[in-house]
Amino acid sequence: MAKGSRSEKRVGLFLAMSAVVGMAVFLASFNEGSIGASALSRKPTGQAQLVSAVPLPNVDGEMCQWVPASASEGGSLYAALLQRQEERAAATFVGTKDYPSMRPVRWIRDPYAAFSAVAVDPINNEVVMTDENLFQIMVYDRTTNTPPTAAMSEPKRVIAGLHTKIEFQCGLYIDPKNGDIYAVNNDTVDTLVIFDRNAKGDVPPTREVYTPHGTFGIAVDEQAEEMFLTLQHDSAMIVMRKYAQGDEAPLRLLQGDATGLADPHGIALDTKNGWIFIANHGAVSSRRPLDPGEKPERENWPLERSQAVPGSGRSLPPSIVVHDIKAKGNARPLRVIQGPKTQFNWPTGLAIDEERGELFVANDMGNSILVFNVTDSGDVAPKRVIKGPKTYLASPTGVWVDKKNNEVWAANFMNHSATVYPLDASGDVAPKRIIRSGPLDQPALGIGNPHPVAYDTKREQILVPN
Amino acid sequence: MAHPQIAVFARLADQNAKPVRKIEGQKTLLGRTMHAIAYDEIHDEFVVPQQFAQAILTFRGDANGEVPPIRVIQGSNTRLEAPDRLAVDAVHNEIYVPEGHVLVFDRRANGNVAPIRVIESKEARMNAGAVAADPLNDLIIVSTGGGFGSGGGGTRFLVFDRMSSGDTKPKLSLSGPRSLGGPFSVYPPKKLIIATNRPTGEHLSGPDSYLGIWSYEKGGDNPPLWRIAGPNGILEMPRGTTLDVKNKSIIMSDKRLNSVLTFYFPEMF
Repeated sequence: MAKGSRSEKRVGLFLAMSAVVGMAVFLASFNEGSIGASALSRKPTGQAQLVSAVPLPNVDGEMCQWVPASASEGGSLYAALLQRQEERAAATFVGTKDYPSMRPVRWIRDPYAAFSAVAVDPINNEVVMTDENLFQIMVYDRTTNTPPTAAMSEPKRVIAGLHTKIEFQCGLYIDPKNGDIYAVNNDTVDTLVIFDRNAKGDVPPTREVYTPHGTFGIAVDEQAEEMFLTLQHDSAMIVMRKYAQGDEAPLRLLQGDATGLADPHGIALDTKNGWIFIANHGAVSSRRPLDPGEKPERENWPLERSQAVPGSGRSLPPSIVVHDIKAKGNARPLRVIQGPKTQFNWPTGLAIDEERGELFVANDMGNSILVFNVTDSGDVAPKRVIKGPKTYLASPTGVWVDKKNNEVWAANFMNHSATVYPLDASGDVAPKRIIRSGPLDQPALGIGNPHPVAYDTKREQILVPN
Repeated sequence: MAHPQIAVFARLADQNAKPVRKIEGQKTLLGRTMHAIAYDEIHDEFVVPQQFAQAILTFRGDANGEVPPIRVIQGSNTRLEAPDRLAVDAVHNEIYVPEGHVLVFDRRANGNVAPIRVIESKEARMNAGAVAADPLNDLIIVSTGGGFGSGGGGTRFLVFDRMSSGDTKPKLSLSGPRSLGGPFSVYPPKKLIIATNRPTGEHLSGPDSYLGIWSYEKGGDNPPLWRIAGPNGILEMPRGTTLDVKNKSIIMSDKRLNSVLTFYFPEMF
């Protein structure tokens, strides 16, 4: 009885909310732009004041357009969107009121590139970044250094547009022999796209390799000509021929409860010692084997979410697992780096300095670059940490070791920048150089594939998950 | 995505306004692929799925920074496989998780708990992909078919009594978007579904994108009552929707625009 009464009260609350709509609209009309009550009671203050705010008419014609810095390059996302919108033809439903030209009253978006991964082309002295916000690959001169007074640095080349098949890229590799750009689409496209180093604009990839959904990190064994890819959704890793094309099957698959893979992200190879390093955020579920007679999509294809064992999900601590470079199947890792001393907080990108035997970790939520020995195991503290306000690190998700120039690079997802440090940097050190894609004072929103949205009625706030 | 997070913006945030808070970091247990989020205004909480860890995470409404969820539904009894979408009925204290069928959990559940009901419909060939709760009319609305590049098979909305359990015939079946863009919302006082139509197939963007509003007063193959911002509008690859009833607005996301848009649309309310 008591429970029923409570429910009725809550339904009543719902109806009451509907009843106050008229008042809300009245108030909203002030919020949305008419002359506010505060303007009517304005008094001199010696400061600039809002005199009036008049709403713009809802028109179908020209309005201020969003123009990213790279728009002038041609082939940008912006240019592609404009072209597509011009090409569109109308379609109608009988009985439907159509408002095709309606514009939003507000539009939350970040107009500047958000760097998710970075890689250096040492032969051509260029640095390449993937931009997860505006779906671009951006190429800069390696020595570019954005002055503090400049809004941003313009890239030498931009690859962007619908023909490029670029969306939400997180993994990046540069072929040290010819400068080819290998960029992993992490979501929505399920394709690894490879571009010639001189590619520019809205061009199709030079080569495409179809990948499992949620592919994140990439590393290449140049001697063996093998390409290693981590798979988030299936907590797995596949190895493909470096020169694979189309729907070619992987050579090897690493997947299973024993592997230690759990929402794997970055990957790095130590070919000198024959080791693979994989960073894990920690979320994982088990997979059941295929039924007799069932076949995988391709040979060495991971067991996908349709094979998930119900209720087997776990939320594990973050880790870096070390496997033999030829590991496959449900192999156990050789070592696991894990525990509170590691400082891991969403460890994401990885890079190796084989010569010095050091592993570099882009520690996203630690706002740090962690350096370990490649032989480390268990709950071990990093030997060096680059962290602090002088470093300008902000959610680094990508890291790259440039041995030719003895530098380590970080892609900072949360401040429109890539930063570079001496390879032996430690502590709260200022970067040698910064490449910025946006003004210093502009916030990075970090939005990436906003799928659902929710509205917090109590605080009048919009919740946007990635 | 490189960085999982829940960014929270002020209602009037526009362009690149800074989020007022963010929920992110290892302790949150969040991962990417949060394809649903539900705010519960009665208990001031919000709920998201964690697909990889097969979990349902509930946070305090004012959560900020690296904070753990206050409740986690996870474990061998849950029957969770790949929780992708969800809805919350805050009035009746239930969480709905579509997994082909619909798993119903007690909203207050924590830990390794079994669902309190499972709703299926063999007759309606239910393959539930998204769900919304209507506590006012004691209904749940389930979407089936449509999305994920199916080539335009068409979405159907199936309307069930909230207390349905087991193999159940829906009260109503009605057509929806040709290809559902993402999680949808409902406006119970007028029995309206607010959903997006996305391009079909492998297209990353398309002219048939729009925000549509359908009635679930009666079943059948009925066209949307309204279409907003498309076809041939500014939308590229629309996804989820939510409502700001007080300000008569629809808030939605668009994947290709990688942004969140608010439409003032009093006609609907």
